[in-house]
Amino acid sequence: MGLDNPAASSMLMLVRLAWRNIFRCGRRTLLSALAIGLGMAALIFTDAFTIGMEESVIRTATDTFLGQGQIHAEGFRSTYEVERTVRNRETLLAALGRDPQVASFAPRSLTHGMLTSAANVGSVLLCGIDPEREREVSKIDEAIVQGTYLEAGIAGRMLVGSKLAETLEVGLGDRLVVTVAQAESGALAQEMFRIGGIFRFNVRDMDAGVVFVDLSAAQELSGLGAEVHEIALHFDDIAMAGDPELELWRRYGQDGNEILGWKELLPALDAVLEMSSLSMLILSIILFAVVALTIVNTLLMSLYERMFEFGMLRAMGTRPSRLALLILLEVSSLALVSVAVGSVLGLAVTGIFAEYGIDYVGIEMAGVTLRELIYPVAAARQFVIFPLMVLAFALVAGIYPAVLAARVEPVEAMRKGF
Amino acid sequence: MREGAEEVIRTEALSKVYREGEVEVRALREVSLGIERGEFTAIAGPSGSGKSTLLNLMGGLDRPSSGSVALAGRSIVAMSGNELSDFRRDRVGFIFQSFNLIPVLTAIENVEYVMLLQGVEASERRRRANEILAEVGLEGLEGRRPPQLSGGQQQRVAVARAIVSRPDIILADEPTANLDSAAGSALLDLMRGLNRSRGTTFVFSTHDRMIMDRARRLMVLKDGRIDRDEVRD
Repeated sequence: MGLDNPAASSMLMLVRLAWRNIFRCGRRTLLSALAIGLGMAALIFTDAFTIGMEESVIRTATDTFLGQGQIHAEGFRSTYEVERTVRNRETLLAALGRDPQVASFAPRSLTHGMLTSAANVGSVLLCGIDPEREREVSKIDEAIVQGTYLEAGIAGRMLVGSKLAETLEVGLGDRLVVTVAQAESGALAQEMFRIGGIFRFNVRDMDAGVVFVDLSAAQELSGLGAEVHEIALHFDDIAMAGDPELELWRRYGQDGNEILGWKELLPALDAVLEMSSLSMLILSIILFAVVALTIVNTLLMSLYERMFEFGMLRAMGTRPSRLALLILLEVSSLALVSVAVGSVLGLAVTGIFAEYGIDYVGIEMAGVTLRELIYPVAAARQFVIFPLMVLAFALVAGIYPAVLAARVEPVEAMRKGF
Repeated sequence: MREGAEEVIRTEALSKVYREGEVEVRALREVSLGIERGEFTAIAGPSGSGKSTLLNLMGGLDRPSSGSVALAGRSIVAMSGNELSDFRRDRVGFIFQSFNLIPVLTAIENVEYVMLLQGVEASERRRRANEILAEVGLEGLEGRRPPQLSGGQQQRVAVARAIVSRPDIILADEPTANLDSAAGSALLDLMRGLNRSRGTTFVFSTHDRMIMDRARRLMVLKDGRIDRDEVRD
């Protein structure tokens, strides 16, 4: 539409009028825009922080030892029976090796047993691991605080959690005897190990109740032969661990095996994160409502100040619907200015903390202790959806002053205006 | 009514009653009058005599309690809100005492506003606005906003805006009240000139002796009734 088109010119004039009107009281507009902008910046930062924290918690939970997914024989996780080993192990391991969606995997044996030191006795979960494969799935090697990680081919060494070491009153090089019930026969078997390393995950269950030995030693002790209880998985993208539509869930979850993602393995964490998302949603709605009310308040003040002018506009033949449209355009203009201020502030604050991080190390969330700085993550929704929501809420809230303006009777308005 | 003269406005038994708190105020009592095309009429009277009320009713800014108003033969009493808006836009020009202009628009944008509502094309709008601003003596000030203009200049813009849409009648409510005598006199000269050159009908509500003296017809209201109606040659 060219400028010579009367409808287009008329709309353009209305837009110009609205834009200039919001700057008539520049200080008030600036303060409103700053108030709304600060609120929006806080929302952007909170959302970015929540994403960063969730990623950090999930990464900590899955990278520590859990893995992003696990394959077991059906029923193993509820009973931990030694005999319930992964079905079709060889075929499965070969398939996983060829699967482009699986970045890495590590077979494990998991047997409950009793650990005895010279001073004390404790119940533990004996984990047999393949040291090299495990490096690509978990961070046991990074959690070693004393001694060294396991090495393939060196038998008789054990990694012990720091809390367990305290309970058993043992240190590096000390001997520990582990007793387990063997598969099939149920006969008790014992083996002596020396402590090669002490680890600390800052996860109580891990540090106080788990020991790691070489997979082949654990298999032999438990009478498993070459069988394993668990295959921990690391996907190309962690989002795949939560995508039930992927074919791999059906491919590996059959023939007596089950495959679980981290959400099923850590339902408490998933629930906490869901709650966190819900809190974010509630916070957003509250903020959007506050934004909308701030805009309405600004517009109402402006409307009452300009009552005579509205009367005059009506006297000149301006239709009520046009006055309502003018108010909605003013609402939009103010919201646009506020959104611009909020986006710039939000981006700046998020950018600064994304660079330097926020120290939440040691804070526990649903049993997971954060081990790294939290880096807020900027996302498209913060700069697309949030501004659109502010605009939408503002426009809905703007209906009230727009209707008020449309109802202005010229004589009444000019009388009030004086 | 003069022979051959066309009546622009006709009111019959026009009354307006409104409430101020618990009190009922009879602002206008059965006023019947006719305004002919090309008249330069002043409606005078003390405060509360009903001048502004009469002007508002004649311009369709307010609705009467009883009686009728017809402009160019068309009754405006039963018009809907939008019809009345369009009627004012096309048929009536208003000049108020002050705050006449939209402060965020320039002089020329203010003048163009009504033509925009009328759907006049941009080039024609701009041409007519420039022409009328020059006619009211504001050439060179088209781009100024109201706060950058003197009171007299603002009222000239208001006159230009009122006249540019070629209405049947211009209703001016105390247009010189906020001007000094020189500016008021100049504004009055301007309106009288437009009345003569264009044949535009002007009706004033006023306390200003100068307007009363120079009006071709003087109507004096008292207690909501026409007390005196004299036409001068």
